Amino acid sequence: MSAINMSRRQFLKTTGILGGGLVIGFSMTGCSSSELPITLVQQGFVPNAFLQITPDNGIRFYCPRDEMGQGVTTGLSTLIGEELDVHPKDMEILFAGVHSDYNNPDFGVQGTGGSSSLKAHYLQLRQVGANTRGLLVAAAAQDLGVAASAISTRDGHIVVAGKQYPYGQFVQTAASLEAPTEAPLKSNAEFRYIGQAFARVDAAAKSTGTAEFGIDIDIPNMHHAVVRRSPVAGAKLKSVDKSVALNMPGVTDVIEISSGVAVVAEKYWQAKTAAAKLSPVWDEVALSKVNSSDVRADYNQAMQQDEGVVDTDEGDVKAGLAAADHIVEAEYWAPFLAHAPLEPMNAVVRIENGEADVWSGTQGIVAAQGLVSRFSGIPVEKVRAHNTYLGGAFGRRGTLTHVIEATEVAVASNKPIHLLWSREDDIQNGVYRPASLMKIKAGAKNDGSITAWQAKRVGGNITPKTLQNMMPALFPGLNDGTIDFMVGLSRDVFAGWMVDHASVEGLYEDYDTDNKTVNHVTVEHDIPLTFWRSVGHSYTSFAKEGITDELAEKAGMDPVAFRLKNTQGNPRLNNVIRVAQQHMLAMQPAEGRFLGFAAHNSFATDVAEIAEVSVIGKTIRVHKVTCIVDCGIAVNPDIVRAQMEGAVMFGLTAALYGNLELVQGAFKQSNFHDYPILKMSEAPLVEVVIIDSGTAPTGVGEPGLPPIAPAVASAVYQATGQRLRSLPLKIA
Amino acid sequence: MIEFILNGKTVSTDDDPSTPLLWVVRDTFKLKGSKFGCGAGLCGACTMHIDDEAMRTCILPISAVAGRQVTTIEGLGTLDDMHPLQTAWVDASVPQCGYCQSGQIMAAASLLKHNPNPTEADVDAAMSGNICRCGCYVRIKGTILSVAQQNLAYNAAQEQKA
Ligand code: FES
Ligand code: FES
Repeated sequence: MSAINMSRRQFLKTTGILGGGLVIGFSMTGCSSSELPITLVQQGFVPNAFLQITPDNGIRFYCPRDEMGQGVTTGLSTLIGEELDVHPKDMEILFAGVHSDYNNPDFGVQGTGGSSSLKAHYLQLRQVGANTRGLLVAAAAQDLGVAASAISTRDGHIVVAGKQYPYGQFVQTAASLEAPTEAPLKSNAEFRYIGQAFARVDAAAKSTGTAEFGIDIDIPNMHHAVVRRSPVAGAKLKSVDKSVALNMPGVTDVIEISSGVAVVAEKYWQAKTAAAKLSPVWDEVALSKVNSSDVRADYNQAMQQDEGVVDTDEGDVKAGLAAADHIVEAEYWAPFLAHAPLEPMNAVVRIENGEADVWSGTQGIVAAQGLVSRFSGIPVEKVRAHNTYLGGAFGRRGTLTHVIEATEVAVASNKPIHLLWSREDDIQNGVYRPASLMKIKAGAKNDGSITAWQAKRVGGNITPKTLQNMMPALFPGLNDGTIDFMVGLSRDVFAGWMVDHASVEGLYEDYDTDNKTVNHVTVEHDIPLTFWRSVGHSYTSFAKEGITDELAEKAGMDPVAFRLKNTQGNPRLNNVIRVAQQHMLAMQPAEGRFLGFAAHNSFATDVAEIAEVSVIGKTIRVHKVTCIVDCGIAVNPDIVRAQMEGAVMFGLTAALYGNLELVQGAFKQSNFHDYPILKMSEAPLVEVVIIDSGTAPTGVGEPGLPPIAPAVASAVYQATGQRLRSLPLKIA
Repeated sequence: MIEFILNGKTVSTDDDPSTPLLWVVRDTFKLKGSKFGCGAGLCGACTMHIDDEAMRTCILPISAVAGRQVTTIEGLGTLDDMHPLQTAWVDASVPQCGYCQSGQIMAAASLLKHNPNPTEADVDAAMSGNICRCGCYVRIKGTILSVAQQNLAYNAAQEQKA
């Protein structure tokens, strides 16, 4: 296996494929001139894809990104509202339908992920708000016969000489004028909503059971479908006796579909009960013989024997190691994980008169549209895709097998279908965070400066499977053969030619040294993989921060001081560590409690975390986590805090419990009793310190996660002297 | 035919008596506020009150609630007329994805009804069957404790008046 000449950037340009975070940088539909998926209300005025203003001053915002809990409806309405001078609480916020105007500017496709939303839309939505405000001011100037310069705006109103006129009064005139394209934006000092910690706009709906999730969709004559799938990924249905289910009450259809066999009934519980009666027989595939111990053995062998593909080769690592006074070398392990969002996968599909509707909470509604089109044969223009609130996603709702299934069942049964996965389906038939074996060898001088960093990772890659899932969705017209070819190509490319960056991101970047190498060996066992909150960083941080602690100790330095010393070239991370150090120095943990520290940059955001931990017997208890974050301007500081709190809990579940084990190709775990999620009684207090560096916002949904596992491991070392290098953390 | 009282109204259904209450409430009576998370009594998303007792309704057959009072999140409070816990939930921006929150609020309401002055350990004990995958625990706990304090203060003031 040899390194390649073609640069990564060039490759991405040529193929349009992008590893890590999300995917694919070309226009899918070319439909920017097509009709907007907006229903007019009264004599509503639609100045652009994001807004509708009605004569009674109703202001509707069509949110282009998906609300999965990260607060994006609040965040994006704050951006547009800031420049439009309308408080988010005074807007009606709807989820946008499918249109290229709603593309994520970072991805060039209508997708949500990679902690990108606020960063990607920061200037775009503010500009849209400012332009619309400019248009309303021009209309008001004309209608009121005053100079535009005599007009100001406030809270959805035109203000002239102290008198207020609602925006809605001017929409008719506005509709006859050209909107400015580059209306001036406010300076940071003029912000009224950006930077304010007001309540989430969706909190009331979500506290009264009125927020509508995909699972809540209910349409006339809707039937319910439950699918039995092979416990081993990729194994096809060999045979099934359908009659046992067909004879059950309420059951209308039993249908073989691509992923298994579906039972359709009038009610969910009937479908569920009948599906449980089936005894489907599945094909054997290569994966059917694989156990967790085989995966680990294959990874170990690859780590020892296979040099793999070079991702990064800077300076001279050999010389760097030779120059070191202290060298450490260790292997770190992270297992397969499921996302387990609390709302299991579901979709509603209706096909009628050559048209279709699909409702599902997705991280890319355009993909739901494409899949329905592809699997029903109905052209995309005739498929209306409706987004809903997402009951958690964490990367899981980018893969829409459930939409394919619902479409297949709707076509075959000729009924509107509500298809719902169980928790068992979610844990056992999902797409997973790849397991990883990582090895780092690093050296430092007596003064603590790192001289060399040699890293290697063994495991599967997420990009080929992501392509396999997304290409049929985004290119409904492309035939299976072409897609298989491209997916195969990407698989081969990443196995032997270049590194899927998502596989190694975070393993080597943060600390100063001129001498770095990163190698990667792809070992896969046909387990479907995808991005999982913080993607590669979710495991690389554990190895990177762990080895940093080990090296600091060997060099005889305080681990925090050691990190400060080695982040001179990374000033924002350095500052976050410095602030964290001050907090840590002021802490006085009670008897039996120990502090652990870790820091990590991901999604352009810097986070340091201090975990206060006790170990009693074999139980690790995390009492408090202090989280220092620099994400540029905190558009809504309270949501930044919430995302840090949430990411800490999510990361702690992985650090303390998360583990999927493979038995004969099937995951053994099935529900929350054996795939436990952190409970309130185990949850630490979380204190969040936001450093507002005043620059444009960067991600917050994911960056709070990577530091927590290594911070806890570091505290466990203080408490017990045990260096835990395997996740989940287990006291020996 | 099974009859019970759903949010104050008598209802009846001919769903199979073994059907879990959750699905009868969601699919037959079309109240979608109570959620399905695990189907095994492990997450609390389906929590309702049965005669004031918080119960996991994904594993509770309707035969067990015949003649009893069933209260769902819709019966606890509405957008226009919220339960004090719901108001406090909004003020503290407790929800993230929101999917677990109906169950969290129902569990919390039952706790405060039975124990108006809970300690932190009481809250942990009562709420630990309610999973929040988004990790809103810090806020859920803080909000329950602060609502309890408000209630106590309010009751004390009432007593003083009387
Ligand atoms: S759905 Fe009932 S406890 Fe989880
Ligand atoms: S808010 Fe998402 S599961 Fe609790």
